[in-house]
Amino acid sequence: MAKITPKQVVVKILLPVFTLILIGSLVLGIFQTEPVNGGLPINEHKWAHEDENSFYFPFSKKFSMPKYIYKKKTKNWLFFQSKQEDLISQSHIAHYNLNDLHSTAEAALNKENVLILTPMQTFHIEYWNNILQLSYPRELIEIGFIIPRNKNGDETLKKLEKEIKNIQTDKKESRFKKITILRQEQESDSFNALGEKDRHSLAVQKERRSKMALSRNQLLFSTIGPYTSWILWLDADIVETPTSLIQDMTFHNKPILAANVYQRFYDDNKQKEDIRPYDFNNWAESPIGLELASKMADDEIIVEGYSEIATYRPLMAYYYKANESPTETMSLDGVGGGCTLVKAEVHRDGAMFPTFPFYNLIETEGFAKMAKRLGYAVTGLPNYLVYHIQE
Amino acid sequence: MAFDEKEDSKKSRTRFKTIMSKKFAKIGSIFLFLLTCVSLIIYGDFLSVFNEKTYYTPDFSRTPQVEYYDLNDSKGDKEGWRTGDRVVFCVPLRDAAIHLPRFFNLLGKMTYPHNLIDLTFLVSDSKDDTLGSLKDELNNLQQHKDKSKRFGNIEIYEKDFGQVIGQSFSDRHGFDAQGPRRKLMARARNWLGSVALKPYHSWVYWRDVDVEVLPDTILEDLIHHDKDVIVPNVWRPLPDWLGNIQPYDLNSWQESDGGLQLAEFLDEDAVIVEGYPEYATWRPHLAYMRDPSGDPEVEIELDGIGGVSIMAKAKVFRAGSHYPAFSFKKHAETEAFGKLSRTMGFSVVGLPNYVVWHIYEPSTDDLKHMEWMAEEEERINEENKIKEFYEKIWEIGFEDMRSSWEKDFHNILKNVDHTKLQDNNRLKFSVDWEDSPEDYEKITTESELSGGNDGSFDESDPAGV
Repeated sequence: MAKITPKQVVVKILLPVFTLILIGSLVLGIFQTEPVNGGLPINEHKWAHEDENSFYFPFSKKFSMPKYIYKKKTKNWLFFQSKQEDLISQSHIAHYNLNDLHSTAEAALNKENVLILTPMQTFHIEYWNNILQLSYPRELIEIGFIIPRNKNGDETLKKLEKEIKNIQTDKKESRFKKITILRQEQESDSFNALGEKDRHSLAVQKERRSKMALSRNQLLFSTIGPYTSWILWLDADIVETPTSLIQDMTFHNKPILAANVYQRFYDDNKQKEDIRPYDFNNWAESPIGLELASKMADDEIIVEGYSEIATYRPLMAYYYKANESPTETMSLDGVGGGCTLVKAEVHRDGAMFPTFPFYNLIETEGFAKMAKRLGYAVTGLPNYLVYHIQE
Repeated sequence: MAFDEKEDSKKSRTRFKTIMSKKFAKIGSIFLFLLTCVSLIIYGDFLSVFNEKTYYTPDFSRTPQVEYYDLNDSKGDKEGWRTGDRVVFCVPLRDAAIHLPRFFNLLGKMTYPHNLIDLTFLVSDSKDDTLGSLKDELNNLQQHKDKSKRFGNIEIYEKDFGQVIGQSFSDRHGFDAQGPRRKLMARARNWLGSVALKPYHSWVYWRDVDVEVLPDTILEDLIHHDKDVIVPNVWRPLPDWLGNIQPYDLNSWQESDGGLQLAEFLDEDAVIVEGYPEYATWRPHLAYMRDPSGDPEVEIELDGIGGVSIMAKAKVFRAGSHYPAFSFKKHAETEAFGKLSRTMGFSVVGLPNYVVWHIYEPSTDDLKHMEWMAEEEERINEENKIKEFYEKIWEIGFEDMRSSWEKDFHNILKNVDHTKLQDNNRLKFSVDWEDSPEDYEKITTESELSGGNDGSFDESDPAGV
């Protein structure tokens, strides 16, 4: 048996094979080359604008848009269309001068409209009764609710519907100017997808606050109207406020003003009713907080009230002094949504509730940051208390 | 045996019967199966009602001043014109009276069902009669004989923001003006957008008033892509001496490493603007991706977008996306809207081969050049006139002797002494090339008078140089 050397392998096998492949690919290449410009000689080439007889055409006439069919398509032919088309006035031209829109310290006197916005997962009758006892003229109050798209929301909606019908079908003077109720678009948008217990755990905060922010934005940008001067963010579990809440808060004439949210409870040790701070989202920035943020990744958030993130920020909740004037103000950098009054122009300029970490802040706290970026000051009323429902 | 036979035939008969009934059952089941299939295909839409969870809907039809909206009804369908999707058409206006007739002409020709389009305008800081012209145009529009050509709800908002800069092309497009200008325009857009958007809107369409050429199906063309935010390519015509066409909107781009690096070095309030050499970002621009003979349906993902023609699902704005009037990731207004929408998880795309044509507004340099061109044309006209005039004078004042020169030449030389002719009967003229000192004196004085060069290069005599 003849010994096959590597050299023989190269010369007798690899080289011919390689040559064959080379020749083959060349031949294939010749047959497969596409003629440039459709085989036209260069002097017969036409530019697109020569083909179209114009420079200014939206797209080449070689292509056409799909043929659009305009026949009505109803999703469920059995039921009639659920869209409320009749509500929208046809051929109507309205003219609004937003230069005449003001938000001043004498809101009620100047007949300034206030829009109360509440994302509502659970209906508390105490909340509704508290709204009804407000002394601001009802013909200047609009209310907006957003309700999660789930069975829980159905319950809330039914209760709310009953109460609203009571008021709005009553005599004219007791009606609110307008009430808008929104149902969220998707079940996954629902801001109460979590139980009461774990809704405060740190890990789920980001997602929960993001959904809360989404619902606030959906509510805000659907209801803010040409006459809205002020927006009062009032959570559905705020059940006790002074009667003159709106007058008291507009009086300060601040772009963003947060009341201090407390909670009544029965103190077992003292054997008596007492109050305790509830909302820790009203805070002033601290150097430690800023340092924490600078070390964080862009997609992380800082939230108050967790020992994992100790910011040492001055929290308005702890600045309450029972003996001092309720008109006392303090400068803030973050706000909560419990009971916060905002001039409409702040929202109109674009300040919204970030659904994503914005300077490592989210939702109402991110909103405060965004408003500050737009040049608005954020203020708090440490001695002006409103009360959260007892759990 | 006979019994057996009987039995057999009975058996076979029953067997036959069972076979027949089995066959019928088979055919029947196949038929039923097919029927359900067909009905499923036909009434599939109807059956989806049972799959979808239905939720409680309150009835406020008899309750005054109360409205209920299910946002799921206005999430935006890719065939919105068939499902009754309402579009809110947002147009910011400033000193735009001259553009309105063109705009309304295009508007009237749109094929999207007009009754589903709500028009909203923001008139701000206008010195001309934008508001008056707008109202006239709208009244004309809504009094159209054909009722189906009338539009839905129309809202005009007025709000002045105070002007940072002038409104001429070069004022607006100068580099220093960009940051504050963009932030101000962003505020204006947000004031309009927030108040114009209603819970029943499914789509929001933003359009600049100064667009010249675009298809009548623009809304359908953009909606049928079913994207959260979508923009066409925007070019503008140019005079032929500038090359006929030019990409106009450079605000639609994809982010680049260069852009991100630049952003890191700028301070918090800085605004990067595209198309200015001061901020070289090396970003790929939608405008330059255009293939004039390419497929108009091609989509390209974008990070920043321009504001000439934006189609967005209403849910994008409802979720809180807007035109940041502050520096968001070092951008403002529409470019930041693109970035913000991306951050919030929405799709933002551009159509490179589908072009909307903006009008041509000459820049200050262009105006100078046009002025120069006009002057030049006038000068050439004047020159031609003079030339024509001179030619006439020339013909009258002077006799053209060129044709008779040959004859005259012989006549002149007729009396020359031929005996003095040298070199084979050929005339020889001699020129006296010798120069004398007198010649120089004369030339020197001449050159002194004229102050120019007399053409002599004699190095020995520097006076002549």
